[in-house]
Amino acid sequence: MKKEINLNTKNVNTWCPGCFNFQILAGVKNYVANEIKKGKKKEDFAIVSGIGCHAKIFDYINLNGINTLHGRVLPMCLGIKVGNPNLDLIGFAGDGGAYSEGISHLVHAARYNVNMKYLVHNNQVFALTVGQPSPVTEKGFRDRTTPFGVKNTPLNPIKLMLAAGATFVARVFADAKQIEWVLEEASKHNGFAFIEVMQPCLIFHLDAGMKDKLYSLEKEGHNKKNFEAAMKKAEEFDYSNVKRIPTGIFYQKETESFEDRFFQLKNLKIKKMSWLDIKR
Amino acid sequence: MKKRDILLNILIEGKAGQGPNAVARVVGKMLVQHGYSVFVSRHYGSFVRGGYNCNVITLSDSPIMSNESQIDILVTLDGNLKRTYNFQLKKGAIKLKNNREGNMFFAGNIAKILGIELKILEEFLKEFSNFETNLKDAKNGYNKEKTKIPLKKLSNKVELIDGTHAFSIGAINSGLDIYFFYPMTPATSLANYLADKQKEKNIFIFELENEIAVMNAALGSAITGAKSMIGTSGGGFDLMSEALSLAGMAEIPIVIYLAQRPGPSTGIPTYTSQGDLDMVRYTGHGEFQRAIFAAGDSAECQELASWAFYFSQKFKIPCFVLTDKHLAESLYSINKVPKIIKSKKSTSLKRYNSYEHGADGEVSEVAKVINKSVERRLKKQKEIEKEIGKFESFKIYGNKNSKNLVLFWGSTKGAVLDSIKNIDAKAMQFIILEPFSNKIKAELEKAKNIVIVENNSTSQLSKLIAEKTGIFINVKNKILRYDGKPFLSDELSKEIKRRLK
Repeated sequence: MKKEINLNTKNVNTWCPGCFNFQILAGVKNYVANEIKKGKKKEDFAIVSGIGCHAKIFDYINLNGINTLHGRVLPMCLGIKVGNPNLDLIGFAGDGGAYSEGISHLVHAARYNVNMKYLVHNNQVFALTVGQPSPVTEKGFRDRTTPFGVKNTPLNPIKLMLAAGATFVARVFADAKQIEWVLEEASKHNGFAFIEVMQPCLIFHLDAGMKDKLYSLEKEGHNKKNFEAAMKKAEEFDYSNVKRIPTGIFYQKETESFEDRFFQLKNLKIKKMSWLDIKR
Repeated sequence: MKKRDILLNILIEGKAGQGPNAVARVVGKMLVQHGYSVFVSRHYGSFVRGGYNCNVITLSDSPIMSNESQIDILVTLDGNLKRTYNFQLKKGAIKLKNNREGNMFFAGNIAKILGIELKILEEFLKEFSNFETNLKDAKNGYNKEKTKIPLKKLSNKVELIDGTHAFSIGAINSGLDIYFFYPMTPATSLANYLADKQKEKNIFIFELENEIAVMNAALGSAITGAKSMIGTSGGGFDLMSEALSLAGMAEIPIVIYLAQRPGPSTGIPTYTSQGDLDMVRYTGHGEFQRAIFAAGDSAECQELASWAFYFSQKFKIPCFVLTDKHLAESLYSINKVPKIIKSKKSTSLKRYNSYEHGADGEVSEVAKVINKSVERRLKKQKEIEKEIGKFESFKIYGNKNSKNLVLFWGSTKGAVLDSIKNIDAKAMQFIILEPFSNKIKAELEKAKNIVIVENNSTSQLSKLIAEKTGIFINVKNKILRYDGKPFLSDELSKEIKRRLK
């Protein structure tokens, strides 16, 4: 009998009861367990999280990596992949860290095309600091800091990523099955996989209706190789008005990854080595 | 101390793009080949073409590491200029000027004046792309020049190298794997030197979107075990301080090359300063361990690069090497092989945390775990201090029995050592600034008169000394220069003498 794959840590889970982060956690664990069943070792993975509710996912998955600074998940991930291009790397960020504090890194990540997965837990709110608006919070949202409501238009990260040249752009709902599916798809992609995960925040951003408005791009026959079609689909949801929210893979383009562009990193991949193995 | 028989100062001025820098390099190399010790400094503004640039070459029959204020030979590549920077022409100085000629015409002039064979000059012209034109110009200059003050050939063997180049060699010889950077004067050229070697040495050099990304990415590669380094100047480093604090918390080995320039803010970008010692001592929130090394010349740039890698790997801490524009870009004559300390890679990918955490990397808010972690890092501080004892935290020069003591750190080394040659004084160079050696206090207590020399306006080394030893240096004995320019040894000599009267 095969040994049970245990990805648990001893840390007590402190997410709110029923939080959608539990779904994301389950989906990620399923993906990792499947990959381990297929032959990968635990040491072949690395995870990086930022700061916020999402970041606690690091505490609950027993894989190597770092719970790093707010907004700096992507440069940390780039460094880790440069250090060891053989790792299966998943970066986690919240919408605050990804779209506010770390937005400059996101634009460049699309350009660098480091072979990794980037999961943005998007609940359209700063939850751990108890409810301030983020760059993707809808117009009119109110909290103590915005008694007159949010005035600015939300950013559309899907459009931004497409425009910046991202090679894999997806959106899923915070559902274990969808997470597992999208990670599997992303793992077949040689490059930067941008995955936005829409998740209600039970305390600060309920958005009860969101789930009903979701639909699958795949089922509607969307051609993920068509850039213009992807842009059109991206515009269907502006993060303020919830009419129809497309989920699935908007766009995918095969090109060489960051690691394939530099002889130093390519060599490490071919030899299945990291710099640690290089004695000087 | 041996008296100098020969000392000449040559100033080459021109507009950016006319090539005063190239002439200075060629002449410097030619003089080294002729057996002389040479020091070449660069002075330029923040522009690519036009403006005013000058290079000053000081040559001597004995080791030299600074310029003097009095110019013997003035070369003006552009007839409209005659500003000589903050130098003065000696009476009877030779003035070379010709608007119609290419820059190497003047290299030919100088070779002829100093009695150096044309074929030596020819050799050094080969490093430039337009060799034929340069050679034609140089020959022309050589043949047309009539003045002669020939220098006899000497047998000194030195290597001419700037601080940045030397540091790059030191880093490579210390086992550097990965260098991330964002361009900023005067640190940018480190990326140039390293990039030149990336194929031969199999190192990875990469420019990221900003300094924040640079520091965070370097920490990322460091936790996988790679020997990682970043390079910047003060303003760039400001953006890195949050990640520096992360290196302190997560105990990640990282080497930081910090080439200072005058601040605050954008300051005077292409000039020199020692204004960032306070910053590197205190920057980054929270309490964590670090080591700070300050190089005084090119040889020390190489050596201290290896010390920084050694301490960062051994103790998993951020280590700084401080230089400045004057050291980074001046050409020094090195007459010994620098001693490189080898270090082993100490880190591998496990679970790291920016939150307070136990030894297993798991987040914790439990008092017992927090205390244990804080105390473990404090204990490390003691271990670092103990290890520092095995290294030369400071160096003593001059008359070792003198009661007069001149204190300095970093690039003022050249001017200080050259200026005290005829003074009854002992000089003390601070090399490891953090942790602070416990032997320093006793050394200071031996002195009757203490003078301090720094390229800043608040005497940051004095502050450090006061904090660590309780010894306060008389404000009248602080020789501070903060106009962005390096000290000149003849002027500094007068300043020191005045304080020791």
